[in-house]
Amino acid sequence: MNAHSDTAHHEGKNYLNHERGLWSWLTTTDHKRIGLLYLYSILTFFLAGGVFALLMRTELARAGADIIQNPEVYNVYFTLHGVLMIFMFIVPGIPATMGNFLLPLMIGAKDVAFPRLNLFSWYIYVIGAVMAGFALIHPPDTGWTFYAPYSIKSGSSVVLMTAAAFVLGFSSILTGLNFIVTIHKLRAPGMTWFRLPVFVWGTYATAVIQTLATPVVGMTLVLLLMERVMGVGVFNPDLGGDPVLFEHLFWFYSHPVVYIMVLPAFGVIGEIIPVFSRKPLFGYKAVVFASVAIAGVSFIVWAHHMFVAGISDTAAKVFSILTFGVAIPTAVKVFNWVSTMYKGSITFATPMLYAIAFVFLFMIAGTTGIYLATLATDVFYHDTYFVVAHFHYTIQGGAVIGLIAALHFWFPKMSGKMYNETLAKIAFVLVVVGFNLTFLPQFVLGMEGMPRRYYDYPPEFQTLHTISTIGAFINGIGYTWALLNLAFAALFGKVKAPANPFNSLSLEWQTSSPPPHENFHTVPEVTDYPYAYGRPLSYENH
Amino acid sequence: MFRYLPEQASDFAHKVDWINNLITDISVFFTVAIVGSMIAFAIIWRKRDGKDHETPRIEGSHFLEAVWTIVPTIISIYVAAYGYVIFDEMRDIPEDAPTVNVTGQMWRWDFLYPNGKKTTGELVVPVDEPVKLLMTSRDVLHSFFIPAMRVKMDVIPKQFTSLWFRPVKTGEYRVFCTEYCGRDHSSMLASLRVLSKADYERWLNDRSDEAKAARMKPADLGKELYTQKGCNACHSLDGSRLVGPSFLKLYGKEEALADGTTVKVDENYLSSSITNPNAQIVAGFPPNMMPSFAGQVTDDELFAMIEFIKSIEEPQQAAPAAVVQEDAAALAAMSPEQRGKRIYETKLCITCHSLDGSPLVGPTFKGLYGKSGKLADGSTYVADEEYIRNSVYDPASKVVEGFAPAMPSFQGQLSEEDVKDLIEFLKTVK
Amino acid sequence: MSHASAQPLKGPPHIHHMDSVTAYHAAKLGMWLFLATEILLFAVLFTAFAIYRWYNLEEFHAGSHHLNWILGMTNTAVLLFSSFTAALAVDAGQKGNNKAVVKLVGVTIACGAIFLIIKYFEYSSKYHHGYFPGQANYLEFKNFLGLYYCMTGLHALHVIIGMGLLTWVLLKAKKDRFSHDYYTPVEIGALYWHLVDLIWIYLFPLLYLVG
Repeated sequence: MNAHSDTAHHEGKNYLNHERGLWSWLTTTDHKRIGLLYLYSILTFFLAGGVFALLMRTELARAGADIIQNPEVYNVYFTLHGVLMIFMFIVPGIPATMGNFLLPLMIGAKDVAFPRLNLFSWYIYVIGAVMAGFALIHPPDTGWTFYAPYSIKSGSSVVLMTAAAFVLGFSSILTGLNFIVTIHKLRAPGMTWFRLPVFVWGTYATAVIQTLATPVVGMTLVLLLMERVMGVGVFNPDLGGDPVLFEHLFWFYSHPVVYIMVLPAFGVIGEIIPVFSRKPLFGYKAVVFASVAIAGVSFIVWAHHMFVAGISDTAAKVFSILTFGVAIPTAVKVFNWVSTMYKGSITFATPMLYAIAFVFLFMIAGTTGIYLATLATDVFYHDTYFVVAHFHYTIQGGAVIGLIAALHFWFPKMSGKMYNETLAKIAFVLVVVGFNLTFLPQFVLGMEGMPRRYYDYPPEFQTLHTISTIGAFINGIGYTWALLNLAFAALFGKVKAPANPFNSLSLEWQTSSPPPHENFHTVPEVTDYPYAYGRPLSYENH
Repeated sequence: MFRYLPEQASDFAHKVDWINNLITDISVFFTVAIVGSMIAFAIIWRKRDGKDHETPRIEGSHFLEAVWTIVPTIISIYVAAYGYVIFDEMRDIPEDAPTVNVTGQMWRWDFLYPNGKKTTGELVVPVDEPVKLLMTSRDVLHSFFIPAMRVKMDVIPKQFTSLWFRPVKTGEYRVFCTEYCGRDHSSMLASLRVLSKADYERWLNDRSDEAKAARMKPADLGKELYTQKGCNACHSLDGSRLVGPSFLKLYGKEEALADGTTVKVDENYLSSSITNPNAQIVAGFPPNMMPSFAGQVTDDELFAMIEFIKSIEEPQQAAPAAVVQEDAAALAAMSPEQRGKRIYETKLCITCHSLDGSPLVGPTFKGLYGKSGKLADGSTYVADEEYIRNSVYDPASKVVEGFAPAMPSFQGQLSEEDVKDLIEFLKTVK
Repeated sequence: MSHASAQPLKGPPHIHHMDSVTAYHAAKLGMWLFLATEILLFAVLFTAFAIYRWYNLEEFHAGSHHLNWILGMTNTAVLLFSSFTAALAVDAGQKGNNKAVVKLVGVTIACGAIFLIIKYFEYSSKYHHGYFPGQANYLEFKNFLGLYYCMTGLHALHVIIGMGLLTWVLLKAKKDRFSHDYYTPVEIGALYWHLVDLIWIYLFPLLYLVG
C-alpha cells in the first residue's frame, strides 16, 4: 500500500521484551499485551468448555446412563459448556484478542483511544470469570439462556452466574466503546474509511453491537437477579410476571451476539484470502457494506428464536421475513470471497486452508439457517439437534475456525517466530474432519426429531450419537494439537519471523515482527487500500 | 438427497416436508456450486513450483454484485412466502376441532378430553379428525412436540397456547418436551395414540375406572362455577346487558375495548379477564367493577369456565341472582334492615364488601358502622351516617388506606331512602 | 500510559499516543457512547414498565397513589438545579476559572446528596408501611412497586456514581488543573450528570404522576 516501510529494527527491542516480569504484564496499557492477556484467558476457558463438551458427548455415546448417573449433573455440564464458551470464550474471542492486537496496528495508531480503560476491561473480565468460578460451588443448571421461570425456581447459584454474565458484559461494552472511538479518531494520515482493512470493518460492526446490545441483556439479567432475590414480579408468572418477556429481552441481545462472534471472523477471512491469492479482495465495498448491513439487521430478528414461544402469528411472520434479510449480505460475502480466488496465485498455507474450510462450513451454516428462518420448518426444527448443529456450524465452523485461522496468520507478527507448517496442517485435517463428523450427524438427528438438552434418548438415535461422539474427540485432539504447535513455536521456536512473511500490504505487516512497543517508529502515511495486489509482482518491492 | 424427516402422520406434514425438501435441494445446489468453484479455483490457479504467477488486479464487478444480491433475494422471498403460507395453515385451527386440554408439569403431561376423561402420559385422538390442543403449564416453560405431526408449541404457566393437527393414519407416535425444564427434561415424554373413530369412541366412553366427580364435562363444571362464583350477578346467558358483557356468543367475537383497540375473544382473553379483569375493559362497561379471581380458581376451573363460556351459543335462562324482582308492597312490608340487606345483595355491594371481616376489593362491612381509621390521603374518618352516605354517592373522595379507589358512584341508582335502609342494615352487621 | 515526567500544572496531561485535541474529541465521543449504553440499560426497564402497566393498569394507578409526589417533585427541582450548576461549571472550566468550578461542582454534588436523602426518606416510609418486597402490603402492588424499586434504585446508583465522578473533577479543579486548553473532565462529568438528570425527568412523571 505504499506505506512507509518501517522494518528498520531498533535491534532486539519489541513489545514483548521492552519491559519484563509478570508485574509489567499485569499493569500494561499496551494494546498488544492486553490482546495477549485476553488470548491466554479465553483459551483457558475454551479448554474448560471443551472438556465439558467431551464429557457430555461421552455420556451421549450410548443411550441410557453411562458415565453420568444423575441427569442434574448432565444439565450442569451443558449449562457450563454454554456459559464458558459463550460469555467467556467466544464473545471476547476474536475482538478482544485479535482486535486488541491488530486494530491500532492496522489503522496506523500507537494504541487504542483509552489504553487504561482497555486494561480495566480485562480486569473486569477477570472479575466476571472469578465470579463464575465461585458459582461452580453450586453450579447452575438452567442452560446458558437462563429462561424464566425455571431460572427463578432452580435451587442452584443462578444469582452469582447471572451477576458474572452481567460483569462480563460490562467488559464487552467497554471494549466495544474503546474500539469505536479508536477507529473514529486515531486513523493514520491518509487512512480513509474505505482504506480500512475489512477486519477493521468487521471489528467496528462488532463493536457497535457490543455497545448497543449488551446493556439490554445486562439489565435483563439484573432483573432476573432481582426477581430471585426480591420477587419484583417481572418474569415470575406466579407474581404476575411474563416469562415470554424475558425471552424477548434475552434474545434482543443474544441474537446480535452471534454476529459479535462471527463478524470479526468474516473480517479475518477477508484478510487471509487476498494475501494468499495475490488478488485484491473482490468487491471490497460490497463486503464492507455487507458487514454493516448484517450488524444492522441483527438487531431486528431476535424473535426468530421464539416462533413457537407463544408470540402472535403476525409477529412470527414479520420476524421470519426480516430474518431472511440476514441471508442476503451473508451470501454476498461468500460470493466475494470465492471470486477473490479466481485467477489468483493460490498458496495453501495453513491460514488459507482454514479460510477455505471456513467458506465450506459457513455455506452449510448459512443454508441450514434457511430451515430455521422458514416458519413451517422451524416449527419442527426448533429446539432439536438441528439447531444445535446449525449453531455450532456458525460459531465453531465460523467464529472458532476464524480465530484459529487468525492465530496462524498473525502468529509471526505476534510472536516473532514461525510455526511448524506440517504439524499445523495435520491439526487442520483433524479439526475439520472431527468437526464435520461431530455435527453433520446432529443435523440428521434433528431431522429425525431428536430434541436438544436431553440427557438420555430413545434407542433409535444411538448410531448417529456414537458417530458424533467419535467426531468430537477427533475435533478436540485437533484443536489441542493446533494450539500446542503454536505454543511450542512461541516458546521454543528457532525460526525467526521476518517482518512480512506472507507479503501482505496491510499496515500491521509494515512494522517489525514482533512490533515495537509504540507500533511504528515513524507514523505511517497511507495512500491506497490494503488489497492492491495483482499489479505485476509489485509486492516484491515491499 | 438428505430426506430424513420422520413419517408423515398429519395432513399438513407433506406440505412441511415439501418446503423442507425444497430448501434442502436449493442448499445442496448452492453449496456444491460455490464450494465446488472455490475448490476448482484453488486447484487451477494454485501456486506452482513455489513461485507466484502474475495475477490480474480485478477489484470487483457491479454486475456480479447485483446478480448475487438479487438472486438470493428472490429465492429468499419465494421460500419465506411458502413457509408463511404453510405456517398459516398450521396455525388456522378449524372451528369444529374438539379441544383436548394439555397441562405440562415437571415432568409429565396431563390430558383432559372433551367429555371429562383424563389421562397422563398418553394422548389419544381419532384418525382423520382435527384435534385442538389447548395447553398451559403448572410450573415452568415446557414445549409440546409431536415429530410425526410436525407440530410444536411452547407451554407457558398462566398463559394458554394452542396447536392443532389432523392425523391421517392410526398408530403410536412419540411426544417430546422440547423446552428445557429441569432435571428430568429428557424423561418428559408422552405417547400419541391415533385410533380409528370407532375405537376412539369406545376408548373415550370407557369411564369405568373413574370416580364420579372426575366425570364432569369441563363445560358442566363451568356452569356450576358460574353460579357458585357469582359470575351470574353480572354476566347474563341470554344476551341481556347486566353490569358486564353477556356470555351469549361471546367466544370468538371481536370486542371494541375502552382504550379504542379491539380484541378477539379467545381463550387468552377470557383467561386474563378472569384473573386480571381490568386490563382490557370492553367499551361501554364500567371499569373496576369485577374483582380478580387470580388465586381463587384452579387451572382446571379456569379451563372449565372457558369451556362453559364457549358453549353458550343459544340464549339460556339462568335465574341471575342480581335481578330479583320484588313488588313495592312486599318491600314496604319489610323492615329497613331487611331492605338494606336486599340492596347489599342486589346492588353488588356483596362483590367487594364482605360481612365476615375478610378484606375483598373494599373494606369489610363487619363492624364498620361507627369505626374510625385512616384514609389514603392520611386523614382520618369515622364511619357515621354521613360518611357512609358520601361513600355511596362519591366513593372516590374518601378511600380507606390500603384499598384501591375502585368503587363506582351509586348516584342515581340508590335513592336517599335506599341509603338509609343500607345504613340500618350495616348497623346490624357486627 | 503516560510517560510525562513533569506534569504541567495547567494544560492537558501528556498522552503518548495522540495529541490533546484528538484526546478531547475521543473522550467526548467515548462519553456519548457510554451514555447511549446507559440509556439502553434503562430502556429495558421502561419497556417492562410499559408492558406491565398495560397488563395491570389498575394496580399501577393505585400503586402510583402510594408515592408521595411532593417529594418526587422536590427531587426533580433539586436535580434540575444541579444540572444547571453542572452546565455553569463547564463554562467556568472552559474559561479556566478553577475556583468557580470548585464551587459549582460542589453545589452539584450537594444537590445529589439532597436527592439521595429525600429518596432515603421515601424508601424508609415505604418500609415502615410494609410496602417493601417480602412485606405484607407489597404483594398488593408487586409489579408496580417491583419496577419502582428497580428503576429508582438503579437511578440512585447512577446518582452515587455521578457524585463520585464529580468529586474527581472537583479535586482536579482544586489543584487548578483546568484551562481553556483542557477541561475534558468537567465536560464529561457534566455530560454524565445531565444523563442522570434526564432519566429522572422521565422517571418522575411515569412513576409518580401517570402510574
